[in-house]
Amino acid sequence: MKVQEIMTTTVESIAPDKTLRQAARKMSDLGVGSLPVMEDGRLLGIITDRDISCFAVAMGRDPNSTEVRKAMTKEVTTCFADQDISDAAQLMSESHIRRLAVLNHDNRVTGLLSVDDLARVSHDLAGGVLEAATPIH
Amino acid sequence: MKINELMTARVETIAPGATVKDAARTMHDLHIGSLPVVENGQLVGIITDRDICCRVVATGRDAVMTQVKEIMVKDVTTCFDDQDLADAARLMTDHHIRRLAVLKRDNSMAGFLSVEDLARGSHDLASSVLEASTPAH
Repeated sequence: MKVQEIMTTTVESIAPDKTLRQAARKMSDLGVGSLPVMEDGRLLGIITDRDISCFAVAMGRDPNSTEVRKAMTKEVTTCFADQDISDAAQLMSESHIRRLAVLNHDNRVTGLLSVDDLARVSHDLAGGVLEAATPIH
Repeated sequence: MKINELMTARVETIAPGATVKDAARTMHDLHIGSLPVVENGQLVGIITDRDICCRVVATGRDAVMTQVKEIMVKDVTTCFDDQDLADAARLMTDHHIRRLAVLKRDNSMAGFLSVEDLARGSHDLASSVLEASTPAH
């Protein structure tokens, strides 16, 4: 089975020069925990609710003036939409993560693949990813 | 298999009168995403980095002026440490959540059981929990 058959085709993203408060508002409104950071159609990074809590709130930085680019994670693990889901699961396990950005062969983001998406088609692949991931309690 | 064989036994907690900034700092330093809120030895709520993102940063509140008790989730789903894993999985599935606070029979805090912990005991139970929960992309 291919990644594109089970991925979430999300096009919601945020620009790197938006503030952390704007990113938080967007995540809250969309009911999501992370947003791809895009500039001119290119993926620059990922920002999560945890990044906002840790980078701004914990450190006393002002979320009204701190830009997304400062708090985002730049090393994003990606896969291609036409790869097999077992390749994707292996990538997640090796990187101890629960989601991947999915690219087409023009290197454009076409979706996100999470361990939840995997669970809908394979309990074993999803279970393996969860075991390898660092528990967030 | 019993919950206490797989749970993460944790004793880090935060007081309801602490500031949101203190909570964010504690979670950052401990590499965790949530803290039990405890008063007089009793669990009164849970605060997560997502709560901080959505209820403080997104709404423009000041993390130094806001207390944990103002934004914590009070309706915490709990289980007992001597219950069976299948009971825990059913609770998570029924409530569409990925972690449970684990109590001892005297109602004191024993730890947390996450879907990642569950995966170490059963891929099927863990994946069922993911399928039932709202995907957090």
